[in-house]
Amino acid sequence: MLLDSLFGPFFRKYFYYYDSYPIVIQIAILLTGVAITTTFIAYSSILTRRANGYLKDVRSKKINQFLDNLITDHIIFNEDVMNGISPQEAILDITPFTKPVFKQKWVKQALIDRLIYFSQSFSGDRNVLFRRLFMELELEKLSFKKLKSISNSTKIVGLVELTSMGIAVADVIILPLTNSKNRKLRSEARIAYIKLSKNDPFKFFDDATEPLLLWDQLELYKIITTTEGLTIPNFARWITYSPNKSIVSFCLKLVIHYNQHEAIPAIVKLLSTKDHYVRADAINCLGKLKADSVEEHLVSIYNNQPLRCQLEILKALGRFGTGRQINFLRSEFLRSNDFDIKKNAARSLINHGMQTKEIVQQLIDTASPDNAIILKHCMNPLIKY
Amino acid sequence: MKTGTYIELVGEFYEGAVFVYGTTLLLIYALLAVLSLSAVRRFQKLDSHVDYSLLLNSKLTPGISVIAPAFNESLTIIENVHSLLNLNYPKYEVIIVNDGSTDDSLEKMVREFDLVEVDFAYNERLKTKPIKRIFKSSNPAYNKLTIVDKVNGKAKADASNAGINASSFDYFICTDVDSILDRDTIMKLVKPVMDDSKKRIIATGATLRMANSCVVEQGFMQRVVVPNQLLPRFQEIEYIRSFVMGKMGWSVINCVPNVSGGLGMFDKEIAINAGGYDPQSFGEDMELVIRMMTYCINYQINYAIRYIPITLCWTEGPATIKVYGRQRARWARGLAQLMWQHRKLVFNPNYGRLGMIVMPYNFVFELLAPIVEALGIIYYIVIIFLDAINWDYAILLLVFVYTYAIMISTLSILWDQITYQTYKTSREIITLCLTAFFEMVVYHPLIVFYSIKGYYNFLGNRKHTWGNMQRQGFGQGGARARTVTATS
Amino acid sequence: MATNGTQILLIDDDELILKVINRILQKEGYVVTTASNGKDALEYLERDKFDLLITDLMMPYSNGFEVISRFKQHPNAAGVPIIVISSVGTENAVKEGLNIGADDYLRKPIMPDELLIRVRRLLKK
Repeated sequence: MLLDSLFGPFFRKYFYYYDSYPIVIQIAILLTGVAITTTFIAYSSILTRRANGYLKDVRSKKINQFLDNLITDHIIFNEDVMNGISPQEAILDITPFTKPVFKQKWVKQALIDRLIYFSQSFSGDRNVLFRRLFMELELEKLSFKKLKSISNSTKIVGLVELTSMGIAVADVIILPLTNSKNRKLRSEARIAYIKLSKNDPFKFFDDATEPLLLWDQLELYKIITTTEGLTIPNFARWITYSPNKSIVSFCLKLVIHYNQHEAIPAIVKLLSTKDHYVRADAINCLGKLKADSVEEHLVSIYNNQPLRCQLEILKALGRFGTGRQINFLRSEFLRSNDFDIKKNAARSLINHGMQTKEIVQQLIDTASPDNAIILKHCMNPLIKY
Repeated sequence: MKTGTYIELVGEFYEGAVFVYGTTLLLIYALLAVLSLSAVRRFQKLDSHVDYSLLLNSKLTPGISVIAPAFNESLTIIENVHSLLNLNYPKYEVIIVNDGSTDDSLEKMVREFDLVEVDFAYNERLKTKPIKRIFKSSNPAYNKLTIVDKVNGKAKADASNAGINASSFDYFICTDVDSILDRDTIMKLVKPVMDDSKKRIIATGATLRMANSCVVEQGFMQRVVVPNQLLPRFQEIEYIRSFVMGKMGWSVINCVPNVSGGLGMFDKEIAINAGGYDPQSFGEDMELVIRMMTYCINYQINYAIRYIPITLCWTEGPATIKVYGRQRARWARGLAQLMWQHRKLVFNPNYGRLGMIVMPYNFVFELLAPIVEALGIIYYIVIIFLDAINWDYAILLLVFVYTYAIMISTLSILWDQITYQTYKTSREIITLCLTAFFEMVVYHPLIVFYSIKGYYNFLGNRKHTWGNMQRQGFGQGGARARTVTATS
Repeated sequence: MATNGTQILLIDDDELILKVINRILQKEGYVVTTASNGKDALEYLERDKFDLLITDLMMPYSNGFEVISRFKQHPNAAGVPIIVISSVGTENAVKEGLNIGADDYLRKPIMPDELLIRVRRLLKK
């Protein structure tokens, strides 16, 4: 009856009959008061939000303009680097960045954000300079301070700043964060770990219990494939031993990227796994590696596979393009009643190029209208999929 | 006073029932307000850290098919297709289904995009009216584009199904060709799907708004403006409330009833297995979502539907009472039809949340609300004539409901402002907030009236239209917002 | 300077890239026209002659592919080289870009020096 104590006296004063109303009406009156108050709070909240947002916009537009010019003048147009001196040794004049205006905290933060933006837009020698500027202005201290905050979202900001600027963070600080309950913090910590750890950047693959979400994979993939100087391990290690399916399928994608033929035996073992999503991923991987030594094996298991895996086998045969399975593809194309099987068989036949040109033409000439149209679909360069 | 007893008895019963009904509804709104606030804030907090550009660069980015049916849209079709071809996403296709247009839409597209007819292996997994031809562009700049030319099916559903059949990717986005999409639409809708490994995300949706007074250039949103005309402005509030408060709130407990036909992304496999859009339905978007959920429950798929609290799609809302009335009557009819078709789900514990929350809520508080309200008004009139009304109580209750409704609308506008400061001037916001004051007296009666008209059409036409294909045609019914209407 | 009067059309919807590259090119003595979307770019193409086109791919109104294909069709633009700068770095995108008529494809983040070398090389031809 907090409400009553808040609004009751008011109503008692102005509606002398308040207490004579039934309880329902009394509650209604009280809630009317609440509704009106809430509405007015909402109004003021909307307006202050807008006003703040507007002021912030104006302010940041102005400061960004200023920072952009400053960074362009002194970093992009750094004379030493333009004359071919290595960015580590180039003279970097930081005095323009130590003007009094930079004493203000928000200006410092704006500089950090802008430097990150610059280093994401430009690479090469200039990137080294961005980093040097960041360090020489001791901005990393601010980021490290954020990393020590209690709030997870502040920690994330600090971590992102350090990772973006390529500042090394000690393993002892990051590793615990890779198991954080906060999903975003966890994924940022993994990224930081791969990018910055000197010892064993893939260590957390060993004990990752949570599934790697597709979005996390997207982030990790980018970091792994673009970080310079990273020692790439043989991913067969996790393909064989990891109990975490998402780690296995992520490693398969990495195997494709690095064309790791040494992982083929481990992948072949996966063909007997029960999970047919993983199996399909494995077949896909073998196809993209052009591991045509397993061709016979794939054909031999074909009939016992679910549709998803059958389609991957057909695709793989097209990728191998050895010419040894032309009859198989042709008979699958003619035999099957499934549209996707037909389409993939046709596409793989056509992918053989000159080898199958005559066979494909022959098929078109003799096939039913439906079959012919599938072949023509796959041959038409205007149709991508 | 003996003569009054009968009426008094009915009155007492009615008042009691309405009291329970009204209180429950008010509590539900309060709950939705709290839930949606938490969802909006959560989204806001996480989204600011998301680097969507990752999707642009990666081999792991999933492909998406964008499907937009078009029927006699010659005036704007070229601009709109251009804008669909310019979305920020590296791996997608655009499928325009020309649903037997009788104007020169097709000729215009053929000329503009250098279209040539191709032998396209079309897999008719969902039955539709016959396909006439399929075109691709011979200009590599438009290689994303596929045009499906089909016989008119008198329903958007039929055209969408044809688009699904022609699509190549695992997820499809369904929209209207005349809707304006945000350039980041695909990225934003894909994110929730990639963010879950425990549940299968069968659909994602985002907020829709009125395009009426917005500045649109060549199919791109230049500046978002609150509608100048009153009717669309009422709809703008209604949409904000329905999406930001309603759908966002429901999504927290995985009870989203519908993904709007104006913009939504769907899991193709589930959509096809569930049978695709029903061309017989007047509310084909919600009907499909209900069927997809039913399918998932029947096959023990742990599903979820996600909503994001940012506006990605603008649609032209009806600006005249006549068109508006037709749209709402159609929606109401669609809802009645859907409830009748899926009546076995209502209060069916075998269907979990769908059976115990989604369907009952929509039955009791969406379908029945206009009827309860209409009866309420009649009841008031009767007791006024009999002079049995307690004016004090009646007015106090009315004031309460009125202020409560305004509060809910204002909070929705506030929640919306948290994630998305769309309007440039504060004047627009103030106009919007003030419009909320007239909603209950001006706009709400319209909803009630046309809903009842829709129900009447449903009951009247049920016998003979069920089975044949007599439809009002799509166009007005495209963008669909189930409404959260504050009623008592 | 040899670069005197060389007209470059630069198209990108990222204002920072636009601003900075514009300055880099101007410093080298090129005359740069900037456009933040394909639509504006196509308007400039109608009015002026350019010696080199640098374009992003994903932009509002008219994307880079469209700009390139229109540009290629333009009678005044025969033989004018095109450089694509894009944050889309997948193999397919690069292939598509080159197929459609781009002479060079640079991925973002951009190395300013590399860009300059490529600009000079293409202009020499």
